Amino acid sequence: MARAAEVDVAGWAEAVEAYFERGWTDGLPVVPATPESIRPFLAAIGREPGDIVLTEATRRRSISAEKIAINAVMAGCRPEYMPVLLAALEAMADPAFTLHGAITSTGGSATLVVVNGPIRQRLGFNAGGNVFGPGWRANATLGRAIRLITLNCLGAQPGLLDRSTQGHPGKYSYCIAELEEANPWEPLHVTRGLSRETSAVTVFAAEGPHNVLSHYGETAEAVVVALADAMAGLGSFSPGESFIVLAPEHVQILARDGWNKPRLREALYARARRTRADLKRGGKLAGAVEPEDETRWEHRGRGPEDIHLVVAGGGAGGHSAFIPSWSRDRNSLSVTRPIRDPHQRSQTP
Amino acid sequence: MTLKILDPMVAADEATDVTVAKRVGDLDGKVLGLLHNGKVNGDRLLDLVREQLAARYRLRDVVVVHKPSASRVADPDVLDRLARECDAVVTAIGD
Repeated sequence: MARAAEVDVAGWAEAVEAYFERGWTDGLPVVPATPESIRPFLAAIGREPGDIVLTEATRRRSISAEKIAINAVMAGCRPEYMPVLLAALEAMADPAFTLHGAITSTGGSATLVVVNGPIRQRLGFNAGGNVFGPGWRANATLGRAIRLITLNCLGAQPGLLDRSTQGHPGKYSYCIAELEEANPWEPLHVTRGLSRETSAVTVFAAEGPHNVLSHYGETAEAVVVALADAMAGLGSFSPGESFIVLAPEHVQILARDGWNKPRLREALYARARRTRADLKRGGKLAGAVEPEDETRWEHRGRGPEDIHLVVAGGGAGGHSAFIPSWSRDRNSLSVTRPIRDPHQRSQTP
Repeated sequence: MTLKILDPMVAADEATDVTVAKRVGDLDGKVLGLLHNGKVNGDRLLDLVREQLAARYRLRDVVVVHKPSASRVADPDVLDRLARECDAVVTAIGD
């Protein structure tokens, strides 16, 4: 594998401009990547520059460890984020994710990354207040590295192979961690078959988060009504997967009233539904409304297992989030992968 | 202080093993394949194509295949079947 081309520039400020001039950024300034600065990033994953770490068959892209490291430096990552980035990219390369479609479609999705396990605290991922917002380097730069790789290595540049009609702000960066300490049930990665001690990432080709405010009911029933109503909204309605990011306050109310994870998933599936008549009136289904359409129901998702629950957010406030899939059915599914955490490996005898 | 910055872009791999299929000339006595890519109305568009071609040529047979999802590439089995059974294939996206 040929090494990355080098460009000589007069200094740091000129380097930042050179990235803009060449169309190598997301529209924000990047950290210039140099042969010296990428070395610790490669060392963090124990890879040689030419090692191919990601292939995308439809676009015929073979992406080397060196290119991943360059984009990670540009995004502002620290070298120790590299195992998380690598696991996220491996998850995106799973055929179930349908990478080429997810990063191209008019639907305008972004790759939501959810980090679980002990690596969260060690690397400083935010799972608390303002979890989707700014202020945490790990969240901000890991999500941004995914975007820069999508732009620079997968050819998904706006107007070329990314044909998003509108896109959404998560396309700059869309990375959260789960506040497992506030989750009275099991965290996402455990529900998806990994041990609690394993660090993991889950990727999801996703729309933006829809706020679900429920302040005054203070009962599980009120929280479930509000969540299911958001999920049943026509705008994003489909049989695709859903991520529900529960505020600590909401999950405490649910647990206090005796709810568990399976019951919540079942209740949301049962209630997040619309008649075929509604779907036709809203242009979600083709054809004229027939009398029987008024009593024929379609659900959000194919079953309760399509509803994924995560706990994150600040201690105060009844604000959860519903995150719909880009995929309108099975085209693209969320994928979870363990992170090869060098810190944990060194503890293993 | 000069600086060497690194190119972050990845180009597509060179396609290997690409040979263009033999041209069929006309479609008289030939088997036509129609591959609907899964988008809404792609099948209707292909119906019109079929009508037009059937009016112009004596087609021996027509093989119609529906891809279940526009976002996913066709299964190799489907492509193999079209290659095996058809002389020419038309595919269409709708929307």
